[in-house]
Amino acid sequence: MKRRYVAAIAVIAALIIAGCSSSGGGTKQASSSGGSKTLTVWLMDGSAPKQLVADLNAEFQASHPNVKVNYQVQQWNGIQDKLTTALAGNSTPDVIELGNTQSAKFAASGGLSDLTAKVGDLGNQNWLKGMTESGQWDGKQFAVPFYSANRFVVYRTDLFKKAGISSPPTSIDEWIQDGQKLAAANRNNPKFTALYLPGQAWYVLASLIWDQGGNLAVKNGDKWQGALDTPQALAGIRSYEQIYKAMSKAPADTDEATPQQFEVFAKGDVGMMIALPWEANSALGANKKLTGKIGTFPIPSHTAGQTAPVFLGGSDLAIPAGSANQDLAYDWVKLMLSEKYQTRLAKENGAIPASANLGQTVLGNDPLLGSMVKSSANGQITPNDPSWAGVEAGANPLKDMMTKILSGKASVDQAAKEASSLITQKMASSS
Amino acid sequence: MTIEKQDLRTGAPQRAPGAGSAEAAPEAGSKAAVGPGRRARVLPYLLILPSVAAFVALLGYPLYQVARISLLKLDLGELIRRTTVFVGLANYRAIFSDPFFWSVTVRTVVFTAACVGLTMVLATLIALLLDKLGRAMRLAVSIALVLAWATPPLTATVVWQWLFDTQFGVVNWVLSAAGFGDFSNHSWFDTGLSTFAIITLIIIWQAIPFVALTLYAGLTAIPRELYEAIRVDGAGPWQTFRSLILPVLRPLFLITAFLSIIWDFKVFTQVFLVRHGGPDRQTITLSLYAYQEGIAASHFGKAAAISMVMVAMLVLALTFYIRYMLRTQEDL
Repeated sequence: MKRRYVAAIAVIAALIIAGCSSSGGGTKQASSSGGSKTLTVWLMDGSAPKQLVADLNAEFQASHPNVKVNYQVQQWNGIQDKLTTALAGNSTPDVIELGNTQSAKFAASGGLSDLTAKVGDLGNQNWLKGMTESGQWDGKQFAVPFYSANRFVVYRTDLFKKAGISSPPTSIDEWIQDGQKLAAANRNNPKFTALYLPGQAWYVLASLIWDQGGNLAVKNGDKWQGALDTPQALAGIRSYEQIYKAMSKAPADTDEATPQQFEVFAKGDVGMMIALPWEANSALGANKKLTGKIGTFPIPSHTAGQTAPVFLGGSDLAIPAGSANQDLAYDWVKLMLSEKYQTRLAKENGAIPASANLGQTVLGNDPLLGSMVKSSANGQITPNDPSWAGVEAGANPLKDMMTKILSGKASVDQAAKEASSLITQKMASSS
Repeated sequence: MTIEKQDLRTGAPQRAPGAGSAEAAPEAGSKAAVGPGRRARVLPYLLILPSVAAFVALLGYPLYQVARISLLKLDLGELIRRTTVFVGLANYRAIFSDPFFWSVTVRTVVFTAACVGLTMVLATLIALLLDKLGRAMRLAVSIALVLAWATPPLTATVVWQWLFDTQFGVVNWVLSAAGFGDFSNHSWFDTGLSTFAIITLIIIWQAIPFVALTLYAGLTAIPRELYEAIRVDGAGPWQTFRSLILPVLRPLFLITAFLSIIWDFKVFTQVFLVRHGGPDRQTITLSLYAYQEGIAASHFGKAAAISMVMVAMLVLALTFYIRYMLRTQEDL
């Protein structure tokens, strides 16, 4: 009898658990109806200010009577799955925004329309080279640049002044000297670090490798191969090691997001960090005392007077192959890439628009973002292949390599060789 | 579990008409005799029909789809173009020929065993504690348990990561301050083992409440007279646990242990969030492997094949449980 009672509890427990697991909801999908056409546009959260899109859509609808723009803002979280579903489904959106490192994947899958013939019409002479490449696959242009942002060094102007540094460094050597001056001037604060650079900031590592003329991976015939063990890449890795050891007290086994480096910077015991615009703004938001005490400079190159090539983060615009309104979609994209809206995008969002020349005009003299624009010109992207996603997902070999090197567990040569062959293996298994 | 019981409850009457059908056959001529007999035979099936239908729709169909996809080459391109490319067992061959898969499998089994073992032992101790505590403390402990249980895994993982942070973590600070040596800048995520230890801690912290509260509910069902009787017979606390609590609560221990096995075997969130499978791929478990090789690289066929392997392993583990359940049901 008691036994049965106990069994009943077990049943109830099992039922509770069964009820607990649930899955996410579906996708809302508005479709066209009636005589007029509906153009469905998906942009990402935070990409374009609300008013900008509202004005653009009003202008678009004025020049295209009988067309209604159905504008939907998508969240970054889970967007890959949503895009996959949308491109494979029956109600494909007409214009989509893709993260610039996702474009190759969707282009290679055959889900996007070829825009190669129209790039001139869209003003490609002003696009950043790296952003143009991000939309290309197999020599064709399947996605066009929308906007981009990149990293720069954020520094404390007051601490620089106190340490007797009059102007920002223009080479890696100068940078390290300045860092040591900063550390010396603050030696009474045991928590002080001249540069908060964690060991696994692999976008910074990519910059330094590119700066030496190296690459993360190269294509040999139709096979990708890890290229970290080339002399150029090794020089870049050593450069990171040198910068880290000379200036940073951050842990060797974390990246810039755990903990968020802007939170660490905002505590006030950090002289510099290598950050994106939003991180600089978040630091200012977290500690109001920093207002007016923050300056920026581009990540210096080993060649004096130049800047290190930065990783270009950003978005592309694309037209799904399954869209029923190809021409309308193209008109919309063209309007978004027009001077008027690109200028507004730079002004209102602080991003470098597809037409990078406008970014220079609008943001070139901005105290924070001027450095971003300055270093964007030679910006690069990660290997432009769908199989690269498999390298970044899960345990990223670049991060593990840096931790091993910086914590003294492996030599640069050995760790780079291992990471390189792992990249080769991962890119082969996922192509 | 529920189904097991339902099936078995109806099992006896089901078998009776089944055996009786042979006798019924010769009577087929007389319609009057068949009428009520058939209704009696059909009724139990009708009664379980809704639950069977629900199971087929909610479990059978997805499982069939996963099994089917595991035989396809289904990358992003095939998905978008909606083409079906059968490749037979190629996905399985690719997985089984990957030496990394085998080390991940062994690692996952060991990790699951450690999580489940620790969860069961600690939860049992807490359940026994709850049984002994006074009302106020019991309430306090129960609330604490429920709060830990109710914390979303994502939030819990982020909080624990901060606790164990190398530079700013309170754990390092406390350990140093308490005189356990210099823990400032000690990295808990330096080696695979240490990282797994933290992951295990996060998981069992959230797994214990359910098991502890379930076992405590079971303990309340044991009549006090039995405790008195066993004490009169001269049993100490350990003897009481072994000879009284363990046998009475056996079904509860089993169901919670097996539920824990299912959860911990396929847990993803905590393992992924802590170090994305690092350092150096040392904390990649099977579910991370499926995500990384399959979903992230858009090889949905391969992901499905890995999932099927995981399902097969779980089914194998659960066979023991089901066999035990069948045996005890026959005893009842």
